[in-house]
Amino acid sequence: MSHIPKLSDEKIVELVREKDKELYVQIIKRYQDKLMRYANYLTNDENIAADIVQESFIKVYMNLNGFNTKKKFSSWIYRIVHNETMNFFNKQKKHILISENIDFDSGIDIEDDFLKNELASHAHDCLEQMAIIYREPLSLYYLEEKSYDEISDILRIPIGTVGTRINRAKIIMKKICQKIK
Amino acid sequence: MSKNKIMPVKEKKINFEKKVMSKVTSGNITIRPKWYFIIGSIFSITSLIGLSIGSIFLINIILFLLRKNRMMGQWRLEVMINIFPWWIPILAIFGIVLGIWMLKKYDFSYKKNFFLIIISFVVSIIIAGFIIDNLGLNEIWSRRNVMRRFYQQIENQRGVFPNKSGKGNMHNGFGNGYRPF
Repeated sequence: MSHIPKLSDEKIVELVREKDKELYVQIIKRYQDKLMRYANYLTNDENIAADIVQESFIKVYMNLNGFNTKKKFSSWIYRIVHNETMNFFNKQKKHILISENIDFDSGIDIEDDFLKNELASHAHDCLEQMAIIYREPLSLYYLEEKSYDEISDILRIPIGTVGTRINRAKIIMKKICQKIK
Repeated sequence: MSKNKIMPVKEKKINFEKKVMSKVTSGNITIRPKWYFIIGSIFSITSLIGLSIGSIFLINIILFLLRKNRMMGQWRLEVMINIFPWWIPILAIFGIVLGIWMLKKYDFSYKKNFFLIIISFVVSIIIAGFIIDNLGLNEIWSRRNVMRRFYQQIENQRGVFPNKSGKGNMHNGFGNGYRPF
């Protein structure tokens, strides 16, 4: 059992499916904080985020046989949280529908330091005011440290669109943060 | 842009391990069997193939009717609008739209240029319909027992269509050289 923490997520999933369902606790341990933070950024409400994450863990467990272990487990589990969050928004009709057509590549590269500082100091306040289509890739990239490829898999959008949204989000972030200050 | 670990928001620590694992160990939630996902995939692929074949057939029928009646450029638009069996193109469009919706469910849909995938799908269906019509399969099918009735029904609707040679019979189309199958 001592080797379990060293195993990859995908390997643990295989073990849970085939041998020991109690090993699923390892998956929960690895992801509960990350998913909670992610859901919290999306919903801005800890209780709702907790419900979403709990429901996601249940769905992940039930659908473990539907996961292809050749793919990245983290992208899959984030995708499920994303879906759960979107379902919640659809039910509550809380989210603001913003056309995906307004994506554009500004060509402006906002300085790293500025964004890092802003995110570190008032990330939550700034992100809260941003539309979800920008908030989500931005938080995945900077706060969850996901690559463009992983974000593409989580949100199911082309990699080019991920880049466009992050660039656009940076501009919006700068504007919002300056207003807040 | 380099990324660093930022945790600006302190989330309330929630113990998902206990909550979720109690459901797992008690058997309240179980992993769905593999066949559940296999059947889902088979159903999805079969539906997509079925929709494509159905759409190709309907497009073929449209081209057949247009060819038979030499509609293109021969009639007044008003006559065509009134008499054409519009349920066929409507059903064909519905099939194509449903097919596109199903294509969107597949992984490749967001990794590749989805607009190009849609165009290819639609064009392939139209070309396949065109090829089937030109191979003379409609003539063969219309003589077969199973399909004869269907073609007769369409032809009866079409019976009120005037043929090119039926000048002066614009209102009923009979007696204008029209020969049912």
